[in-house]
Amino acid sequence: MALTPQPPKTDTSAGSGDLLHGNPAPIVIPDGAGDDELLREFGMEEHPRGGFHGLLEVIPTKADYILDLIRANSLWPLLSGLSCCAIEMMSTATSKNDIDRFGMFPFRASPRQADVLIVAGTLTTKMAGPLVRLWEQMPEPKWCVAMGTCTTSGGRFKRSYSVVQGVDRVMPVDVYVPGCPPRPEGLIYGMLKLHELVKQRRGQWSTYVDRGPQRVAWEGDVR
Amino acid sequence: MAGGLVRALSDRFPELADTLWTDEDTVEIQVEGSRNVEVLQAVRDDAELGFWWLADAAAVDYGPDRDDPRFEVVYHLFSDRHPAWLRIRARVDRADPRIPTITGLWEGAMFHEREMYDMMGIVFEGNRDLRRIYMSPDYRSFPQRKDFLLPDDAADSAAAGVVPLERPETWDLSRFREGLTSAAAATYPPTAERTGTEQEVEGGETLADQSRPR
Amino acid sequence: MTAVDPEIRIPDPIELDRAEEERLAARFGTAPGSANEYAGFETVGIPDRPPQTEREAEMYSLEEGEMLLNMGPQHPSTHGVMRLVLKIRGEVVTDLDPVLGYLHRGIEKLCENATYTTVLTYVDPMDYMSAMHNEHAPAIAFEKLYGIKAPPRAEYIRALVVELNRVFSHGLMMGFLALDMGGITPILYGFINRDDTVELLASISGQRMLFNFFRVGGVNWDVNDEFINRLSRWRAEVGKAIDDNIALMTQNEIFTQRTKGMGVLTADQAISLGVSGPNLRASGVPFDVRKAHPYSIYPELEFEVITRPEGDTYARYLQRVAEIEQSLHLIDQIVDRMPHGPVQAQVPGIIRPRPGRAFAAIESPRGFYSVYAISDGGPNPYRFRMRDPSFISLQVMPKLMPGHLIADTMAIMASLDPIMGGVDK
Repeated sequence: MALTPQPPKTDTSAGSGDLLHGNPAPIVIPDGAGDDELLREFGMEEHPRGGFHGLLEVIPTKADYILDLIRANSLWPLLSGLSCCAIEMMSTATSKNDIDRFGMFPFRASPRQADVLIVAGTLTTKMAGPLVRLWEQMPEPKWCVAMGTCTTSGGRFKRSYSVVQGVDRVMPVDVYVPGCPPRPEGLIYGMLKLHELVKQRRGQWSTYVDRGPQRVAWEGDVR
Repeated sequence: MAGGLVRALSDRFPELADTLWTDEDTVEIQVEGSRNVEVLQAVRDDAELGFWWLADAAAVDYGPDRDDPRFEVVYHLFSDRHPAWLRIRARVDRADPRIPTITGLWEGAMFHEREMYDMMGIVFEGNRDLRRIYMSPDYRSFPQRKDFLLPDDAADSAAAGVVPLERPETWDLSRFREGLTSAAAATYPPTAERTGTEQEVEGGETLADQSRPR
Repeated sequence: MTAVDPEIRIPDPIELDRAEEERLAARFGTAPGSANEYAGFETVGIPDRPPQTEREAEMYSLEEGEMLLNMGPQHPSTHGVMRLVLKIRGEVVTDLDPVLGYLHRGIEKLCENATYTTVLTYVDPMDYMSAMHNEHAPAIAFEKLYGIKAPPRAEYIRALVVELNRVFSHGLMMGFLALDMGGITPILYGFINRDDTVELLASISGQRMLFNFFRVGGVNWDVNDEFINRLSRWRAEVGKAIDDNIALMTQNEIFTQRTKGMGVLTADQAISLGVSGPNLRASGVPFDVRKAHPYSIYPELEFEVITRPEGDTYARYLQRVAEIEQSLHLIDQIVDRMPHGPVQAQVPGIIRPRPGRAFAAIESPRGFYSVYAISDGGPNPYRFRMRDPSFISLQVMPKLMPGHLIADTMAIMASLDPIMGGVDK
């Protein structure tokens, strides 16, 4: 059956743009919108410093190559185990699934000394503040690995009133490792993917655009 | 099996004997909220009853439509002398949910009562430290009440509290489907089966490759 | 050679602080004794509002020489995300306020929208180190509501996996106790043991950690060949693995000096505070749910309830070592006596029990774990309440830790063995 295409419903009565209280601004896509305008409407512009712009940055130098290799092979994680995935992260770090062979032996207690933040465990709204503060305290270059489904998307706590639905709502994530909890082999695979990212300088930390207050968790309806 | 306990309870609290209910391993009595300390102290200190272990203190919300009672604070107790658990259900009002604290009897009830306050909003009079324990101190709602609805219950809620960030009905994907007929462009999300003529996608790529950039 | 000037006096730090305070007061107008003397600095994460309860006022008001130290939610040894606000005088802790809720996921509320079988998957990540126990209590409660009993083979399998879980949970507690005091080797041994045991449990349930194994009316799968092979190999090796760990710690002088006499919990205090499990038995109270209110097949098995009279950290450690031995003894008996039969009762996919209430309690490695479920006849429980043992055991800390050094607080907390997933639900 033929379905006539409907023009996009520009719901101008939708609200004032106050995302936090459930009144998103209407998304209006003008005619002839190019890539940049479209991305801006959806809030997904690329950071001007991100990616390779221009021929010069496309060709890394030998020193850059070795520097990236060094960085990749000695990523020091921050001890930020929140929940059940932390036990599997510790299991990855101990003798049977040894992550020390990839250089990640010292799990630093202080964020000032850490390279990669493996968010292992459910992020709740109360913990989101301290975790973002930890992320901001980490010196650049830094990478973030979202371990487990709770950090990828809220996981089994999808409709909860106090769980952040995915850590990428509050910080840029480079590698998502799914699983509940992911096996140690899965986490090691994720860390090797992170090695690839580090060597190719494809980290997200420099390209993240702050989109302002976002709904970090589902809230219930309170009368 | 719980016969001795039933007899002892009805001797000790004859006015509550008509609320007494028993199961194969639990005996239950109901009491008014203001009497909870008195009854709990009696069952703890009485030589024949001897319920020295407070197993659990929980709160139950029967919903905003039910008035009497709206809340119940349920205590479970254990004794060496009786093989059954003792459940004491204390009724709490709807409008002003207050009940005396039992931290004088068992100090370990402090965290139980803080949790009940945090999740249900029941105020424990005499509690030295009644503040929120799970949620942030500036949180305003009481999550486990029946009128606090998760988005799953949006169908029951008049106001459907959550609006998701993505609104696919406003997306115009037609610019990504140049070359296709309008029939294919209008279907969102793209369905597996296509009735009628199959549309050739240009370039040999699938529709998914031309969808909204992420 | 310069002569020491007898007039120079090294100022007293307390006087320096007071002088500084007076200078600040003169400059900014806060006089001592005014309402602003309440210590509210945002930098330490202390509430920047007046105290709302008596205990808060007592905790957050500082005397001379005291200071507030925040062992924040991210800390190498807080067993997960817990915040401890310590009031210290020098290195000695004088008061303590635990701040919880950094892992509160709203599981009880989510379970009210889930079917009874789904509830058994939601409760797994509460006390994630002993997930089998988390599922055992709700399974018993729902079976009481529905009015059925699991078949005997299912009960034996349940008891077997539950005791396996207890073995590695206690083994890891020993490792964490040593780790919090700076010893790295026992935790590595503990994780080797845990990985072996958990692979064994994965061969029967499919998952290493949050086993979704229990169902209302039994368990999900029967034992298979791989499980049996692994079990016999594991049983041959586990004794040695635990003994290695024990040999590193029990007679170790550093360990004994740091744990003997620390954090003494008397029996009356423990009962009043609601402590349960190995912590309670290490204070001399012989309360074990498996003997006090038996469930499952425990009436048919022989084991002892061991207690220790001292109640200090060392006693809690030794208590868990003894309980590992008891669990291995139980596992041997279960494997000998396991009957044949079905492993799950005939139960529909979505069960709708009759309206009623049920209370079920089990002995988890952390203590008394109970579930109170109310059914209204529908497919979802009307109220699902879990009483977690670690949550209640944490109240012990403001009673035990004052008087000890900061370094000892971590040892005491590790000996209480809290798991924050259960604490915060």
